[in-house]
Amino acid sequence: MNHDEAAQLLSPYQDGELDLGTCLKLEGHVAGCPLCQQKLEGEKDLGDLVRSEAPRFKASPFLKTRIQAALQKESFPSATIPWWKHFSTTLKNPVLIGFSFLLVVLVADIFWSQKRMPTLAQESVANHVRSLQVSHLVDVASSDQHTVKPWFAGKLDYSPQVVDLSSSGYPLIGGRLDVLDHRNVAAIVYQRRKHYINLFIWPSNTDVFNGRLHHQNGYQVLEWAKSGMNYLAVSELGEKELREFAEMIQTQTIDSQSKE
Amino acid sequence: MEQHHDTGGDLSQREFEQVLWQHLDAAYNLARWLLHNDQDAEDAVQEAYLRAYKAFPRFRGGDGKAWFMTILRNVCYTMIKKLRSHETPELFDEEIHQVASEAEAQEAFRQKANAENLHSALEKLPDEFREIIVLHDLEGFAYKEIAAIVGVPIGTVMSRLARARARLRAEIIASNAKESSS
Repeated sequence: MNHDEAAQLLSPYQDGELDLGTCLKLEGHVAGCPLCQQKLEGEKDLGDLVRSEAPRFKASPFLKTRIQAALQKESFPSATIPWWKHFSTTLKNPVLIGFSFLLVVLVADIFWSQKRMPTLAQESVANHVRSLQVSHLVDVASSDQHTVKPWFAGKLDYSPQVVDLSSSGYPLIGGRLDVLDHRNVAAIVYQRRKHYINLFIWPSNTDVFNGRLHHQNGYQVLEWAKSGMNYLAVSELGEKELREFAEMIQTQTIDSQSKE
Repeated sequence: MEQHHDTGGDLSQREFEQVLWQHLDAAYNLARWLLHNDQDAEDAVQEAYLRAYKAFPRFRGGDGKAWFMTILRNVCYTMIKKLRSHETPELFDEEIHQVASEAEAQEAFRQKANAENLHSALEKLPDEFREIIVLHDLEGFAYKEIAAIVGVPIGTVMSRLARARARLRAEIIASNAKESSS
């Protein structure tokens, strides 16, 4: 081992970080090299000084308390990190961006459908009540579905299915043009004992109607969507009978479609 | 300790405290030497604990101290960049610090070897030199651990520490504070 090599290794030698082989070679050189002996002594002096005199700073006892408090409200931005730093790390994460976007869309969608439905339900109940009040229940009075359905032709830009449920105790009374959600809709009127049912039918482009039941001032409103049409059944009938009625309408609608 | 089969959240919380609170002083010492004042050091240590807390589920055992010191060191250097971006580092003039012979250097060193000179010499060292002396001589990390914390090969740790000490010694010799009456 030459002198330059040895001089490089004095520091790690002092720290006990050399492997045994290198250690022995170095000691072999140092034994015959006064300069390296001096340098090694200098290393020792410096090491002693640093170990005995270098201040080791101690954390204040309050620091731990302060950090523990910060950890407890870990989800909140801590005092040492500016709020925008959290925001910018969120923005850098594509998964988080995607997730937040999805969340916004979902919430907006739920909010929209929740908000929209009650308004429609209110409106349909108002229509139902009006149809009963002003003796304007039907425009075309007929218990024959083949009279009621053609009546709508030319009055609407779609053709609603009209089914006959008289055999099941829900005789057809007739049909009427009404306005719901700012558009003309077909209102088909059925009777159950002394109660009337207004069934509003109009085309849907979004299937937000999913069979929910709304209660509105003692009236029941049942909504569903089928084969590209929205259905709203309004009546003072109880929930059970209204659901039975809706079920029949749904099955018969398929039947009449497949017949055609 | 007996309740080790607990729910995940509580367990990791307890482990976190067991593993990391014991390194508070080591963390604070390094942060204080790198950042030069109490306030910044405390902020850095708090930030390091918050980061470690968030990253703790990804910590799979092993050397918790080295893992935590790595986080702390990153926090410190981020703060240093922000705090000192406008400052230019003081250049070290090898010529001025040159001493004729090893014997003379030894004599000069012994005359000036006191706590005050050591402290100011340490403060004058470049961050990477001061850091490695703190990690090795004050905190007692082995070369291998320092290599992991600083993120350099072990050979670099060896040569950097040797250079850091040579520089520290030269700074002490060149210090113009009152000489200790030996």
